[in-house]
Amino acid sequence: MAIKDYDVLIVGSGHSGGMAAKILTEKGISCLMLNAGPEADYAKDRVAKPVYEMPFHGFNKPGRLSHVTQANEANSEQWVDETEVPYTAPPDAPYNWVRVRLLGGRSLFWSRQSFRLSDFEFNAAEIDGKGDSWPIRLADLAPYYSRVEQIFRVSGRKEGLPQFPDGDFVSQTNLNLSSGVMQKISELAKPRGIPLSTMRSSAGINGLASSINLLLPDAMATGKLQIVSNAIVREVTTDKSTGLVNGVHYLDRHSRREMHAKARVVVVAAGTLESTRLLMNSGLANSSGVMGHYLHDQIYGVRVLASVPEAQDGKAPPGLMGGNVFIPRFRNLTKEDKRNFIKGYCMMIGGGGSPVATDFAEYGEELQKKLTHYAGSCVSASIYGERVPRFENHVSINKTVNDEWGIPVLHIEVRDSPNEINQAKDAADTAEELFKSAGWEVIVKTDRYHPPGYSIHEVGTCRMGDNPKTSVLNKWNQSHDIKNLFVVDGAAFVTCGWQNPTMTISALSMRASERLAELMKQGDV
Amino acid sequence: MVGPFDSITIMKRRRFMQALAAAPAVPALIAQQAPAPPAPGAAPGASGAGRGGRGGRGGGGFGGGEGPALIEVIQPDAAGDTVARFFTTAQFNALKKLGDTFMPAVNGAPGALECGAPEFLDFLIGVSPADRKQLYRGGLDALNAHATAKFAKPFADLDAKQIDAVIRPLLVATPWALDAPKDPVMHFIASFRTDISEATRNSRAWAESGGAGRGGRGGRGGGIGGGGQLMWLPIDPIYKS
Repeated sequence: MAIKDYDVLIVGSGHSGGMAAKILTEKGISCLMLNAGPEADYAKDRVAKPVYEMPFHGFNKPGRLSHVTQANEANSEQWVDETEVPYTAPPDAPYNWVRVRLLGGRSLFWSRQSFRLSDFEFNAAEIDGKGDSWPIRLADLAPYYSRVEQIFRVSGRKEGLPQFPDGDFVSQTNLNLSSGVMQKISELAKPRGIPLSTMRSSAGINGLASSINLLLPDAMATGKLQIVSNAIVREVTTDKSTGLVNGVHYLDRHSRREMHAKARVVVVAAGTLESTRLLMNSGLANSSGVMGHYLHDQIYGVRVLASVPEAQDGKAPPGLMGGNVFIPRFRNLTKEDKRNFIKGYCMMIGGGGSPVATDFAEYGEELQKKLTHYAGSCVSASIYGERVPRFENHVSINKTVNDEWGIPVLHIEVRDSPNEINQAKDAADTAEELFKSAGWEVIVKTDRYHPPGYSIHEVGTCRMGDNPKTSVLNKWNQSHDIKNLFVVDGAAFVTCGWQNPTMTISALSMRASERLAELMKQGDV
Repeated sequence: MVGPFDSITIMKRRRFMQALAAAPAVPALIAQQAPAPPAPGAAPGASGAGRGGRGGRGGGGFGGGEGPALIEVIQPDAAGDTVARFFTTAQFNALKKLGDTFMPAVNGAPGALECGAPEFLDFLIGVSPADRKQLYRGGLDALNAHATAKFAKPFADLDAKQIDAVIRPLLVATPWALDAPKDPVMHFIASFRTDISEATRNSRAWAESGGAGRGGRGGRGGGIGGGGQLMWLPIDPIYKS
């Protein structure tokens, strides 16, 4: 029999689970990782096809991934099939839950935008005058961010802005304002107090910055990690005499045969909502009653598109169009900055785009004339903004609906508040004012944004805090209720910020795993 | 809708996919973690089969070696046309007319009719969720009703000026993809305008005509139709209960 007792059982194989496996195994701790999906074989599982040879000619199979707006027919097998693992939501509150169960999880497909949170987020209650702060500050996490940035090979431009903390970049990126339109943006931004910077990005290895190539190989090299794929964890189990967790029940994805694996410690890293679903289905670690609440992510959207008159009809002189800038948060940084919303957003401005057919109420020849007239003459703006974590935005277990493996699904109930609406409106107004001041023709302005979940940055449902009555985890990602249970993914967040959360998730998982290793060494877990 | 950084991301993802296909690092990594392949010629389960017992029906089929060479087959669209089955004749005639209006054959590129886009949408909508079926059926019925009320004939029999009189009041810009018009007929027109463009540009006829290289019409077809893109095949599918 190959069955054994492991030191630590890790549920999930993305950045958070992969980081936990790397840190723990490198300290000599034996780990078992269970992943719900298969390992992708990149050579076998993909083929180059023209779109007309796809069964639905690129439209995707109707109804299969109706909430995954990122999906197309070519990549549809990446995502979790909503008919296999459904979830429910009220008709008036649509939610886009975007999931990947391949080994490596969503770390296989992220955009590699790599930011630190700042104390504007960690200390949110004081800055915003409401809500809650994290139990840690940037200084607590900074050493871990630095190590993560080296592993992920993050490049960026140091700015010295408190709301946009600099990283330990492996290479510097330059702010390129050489095009005429970006020079104009630069002239206009400065007197408005709008800082300009560049995107910060993980290079990884060969363009891939995933758990499967940056984290798991190191863990495997120790000989201390075993991974089971197609293992769908149904329940975290406990020792009735101690109340401590002692393993998990999991099902084989194909046969649905149920098995039990034992471990001294369980680290849950299945992604914010799957981790929460697992703990709720297990009936664990929720003496606070907070689990499942405060679900939030970021607003993605707002679209302002302006055409530069000198570039219309294909007449752009050389050097006028092109380039892009990244604008970190610039709202609500001082108490004097009074807005009708709290928190803030970042903005991306790019030069050289074109409108699309749906931007005009035209068809046929008239439509073609407009598209040709504006082609290549446009500058565009979009944002990532911070949603407010609110208790009423929550998930629960829907006991009337099971997934393909008989496991009760999540019911997700999230609604936006005026804060999100006002924030998006401010962003659209700001971009429009900039573009009009430049003398450009604004042809699209919409302050609309995607439904909750679209950013794939959902966080907050097992928030950390010092008070066990108002938080699920302590500041080390450890359950207040069960000392040998850790949750190391985005569920632990108190606020999401406007930043891509991957660096923070990875740094928190690294920090929590080192703490866990220390506790295990001391015999405290 | 794609913003500048979204475009960059998509491009990076494409490059990432290409890199995955080309670079040995990831496959090598995966191979490193995979169990060693069986020796050439070994039958599935060979190590246990010799011990008797439950072997069952394994072993047969191709036997050892590499197996026979693949016979070349062609795709369904290369051999036949899609049969329209879902819409009524009146609805389908209106759909074809509207499709020809939005995606006519111009500048040497085939239009919706030449590309079989109406027949493909008949199939696609016929296998879509109920609300989408209703959107299309209701929209096409409304076009016929408007045409009959204004010009005493079905939409398919209208001339270009009459068609414009019917559809122009129903046509709105939708700069934010999720902002569907509340009026169901306007919603249908907005959806159809995008769908017929994609069904045309994603067709075999469009690709073979070189239409992909002409660009210009919006929709997602341009980069896909000609050269192909990496499609993920069903990965280790589950057995449905």
